[in-house]
Amino acid sequence: MSVALVAPAVAIAAFVVVGGIGMSLVQSLGLLPLVGVPSLSLDAYLANGDELLTGLGLSLGIATASTVLSCVIGLTAAVVITQGRITGRLVAALSALTIPVPHLIGAAAVGLLISDAGVLPRMLGIDGTDWPDLVGGPWWVAVVLEYTWKESAFVALVVAGVLASRVARYDETAALLGASRARRLRHVVIPLATPAVIVSAIIIFVYTFGSYEVAWLLGRPYPEPLPVLAFRLFDAISLTSRPEAAAVAVITTAVSLVVVALGMALLRRTPLWR
Amino acid sequence: MAMMIPYGERVTPDDRTVAARPLMRPRPAGRTLRIVVASLLAAWFALPLVPLLLWSVANRWSAPAALPTEWGLDGLASAVTAGAVPAFGRSLLLGLVVAAVATPLGAMAARALARGAVPAPRLVSGILLAPLALPAFVAVMGLTIVLLRARVPGLIGVVILLVAAALPYTVYTMRVAYAAHDLAYEEEARTLGASRVHVLWRVHLPLVAPGLARAAFLAFLVGWSDYVVTVLVGGGTIVTLPLLVASFAGGVGNDAIVAVLSLSAIVPPLVLLLGLGRFGRRYPTARYLTGPTASRSPKGAP
Repeated sequence: MSVALVAPAVAIAAFVVVGGIGMSLVQSLGLLPLVGVPSLSLDAYLANGDELLTGLGLSLGIATASTVLSCVIGLTAAVVITQGRITGRLVAALSALTIPVPHLIGAAAVGLLISDAGVLPRMLGIDGTDWPDLVGGPWWVAVVLEYTWKESAFVALVVAGVLASRVARYDETAALLGASRARRLRHVVIPLATPAVIVSAIIIFVYTFGSYEVAWLLGRPYPEPLPVLAFRLFDAISLTSRPEAAAVAVITTAVSLVVVALGMALLRRTPLWR
Repeated sequence: MAMMIPYGERVTPDDRTVAARPLMRPRPAGRTLRIVVASLLAAWFALPLVPLLLWSVANRWSAPAALPTEWGLDGLASAVTAGAVPAFGRSLLLGLVVAAVATPLGAMAARALARGAVPAPRLVSGILLAPLALPAFVAVMGLTIVLLRARVPGLIGVVILLVAAALPYTVYTMRVAYAAHDLAYEEEARTLGASRVHVLWRVHLPLVAPGLARAAFLAFLVGWSDYVVTVLVGGGTIVTLPLLVASFAGGVGNDAIVAVLSLSAIVPPLVLLLGLGRFGRRYPTARYLTGPTASRSPKGAP
């Protein structure tokens, strides 16, 4: 009975996860060519060696910057939200507003805001030529800002939920025992929020590392982050490009899995983990 | 607690209590800091939505001006001409289908896991959460060839992949819901002679309804927001709202259309979110369990 209840969900998830990774691996090793004889080779991994390495570094940089900024801003927002009162409610409402915005729409909005013809330079009265290259510039500022905007709201939602349910009593007790605000923040609120922040950080890192549309819309054409590189190869017309796209997919997955494993190890070392 | 104060009677605190600063109330300096930080955060979350609102009602906005130079709804008209209405319908349908499939599947799995009767529960939970750790494009690039060879229609392929992406959310949300769910109510109803179907409809589902609504909302968002799966598996034949936004945002000079399309992609989930807030607060437990309908004995039961 229970097995029958779980089976359909597990079947779909396993088909997509195991099938997706497995078939990417098989294709990247040249075992499933569009035409011709299957032969085991690492050609797909070596064909774009330099682009793969630059893309890997770039994707890691974007994901790291977005994750760190989201966690800092999101944790601050969560603390403000749990303070309650009118300011907390305002921040809670505006961050909740951000949650259901699709990432692609967020990217379009950020583009309209901070490109050199955007709304922000117009409102600040700065000429487009004096405005820094935030969209399509060398530092991928717009891409990181879009991820940080969306994901800091996510962190705020998750962490504020934890703080409201578990931390409030400890915080009051510490206050009753004479702890100052700063000490309560440092020794009570932040340690209790850490597990939730780590879980959110894992999810954000994996998402931003493997996400395509924001980097494609707000980034520059070269160098390409891994997902953008994979997309270009996947759509290219040459016969070898599909296995090459699959190779990029396999590397992206491998890095994501390593990050999840590292994050889980970090989570187990927090004193509060069950 | 020791002092008995009759209910409803006001107690006037003495002067010392009123003058003292309450323990958790911040100092004036802390208050200023809190207001500054809160304003910065409010600006941070709200600012990206400002250009959407302004551009969506701007016919013309020449570069140096701080506000649109000519107001109007040309953007809306161009968006409709560009096929915004059918794209909106397709997105809505995709979101609803994903929610309709992923919510019951997630709820069933969560219930079985919560009852502890599933073999290898850690492995099963791991598999159900795994789509969260897998970039969408990897799943698509691996599986396209399988879906093509099995002659699965594009739309079905898109739905399968998006349901898998939504399952972690529905399973997690429903596990939280079932953790707070008391099976005793269902057993009670069975003892009183209600049939299995009747217990499901009258007791079980009403009790977990807020959780189901949250799960369905998250699953809807997965289908509604998707770009990568729709564009790769659908091969550009299924034009949803995100695809339309992408095609206009990639070009130059479409700012008003992009703003209108973006707003129309934000409004439906926001309305759902607001409805969810109201629905989640109104707890149906008391009404359904003590109301006249539940106590009436079901048709056919002794």
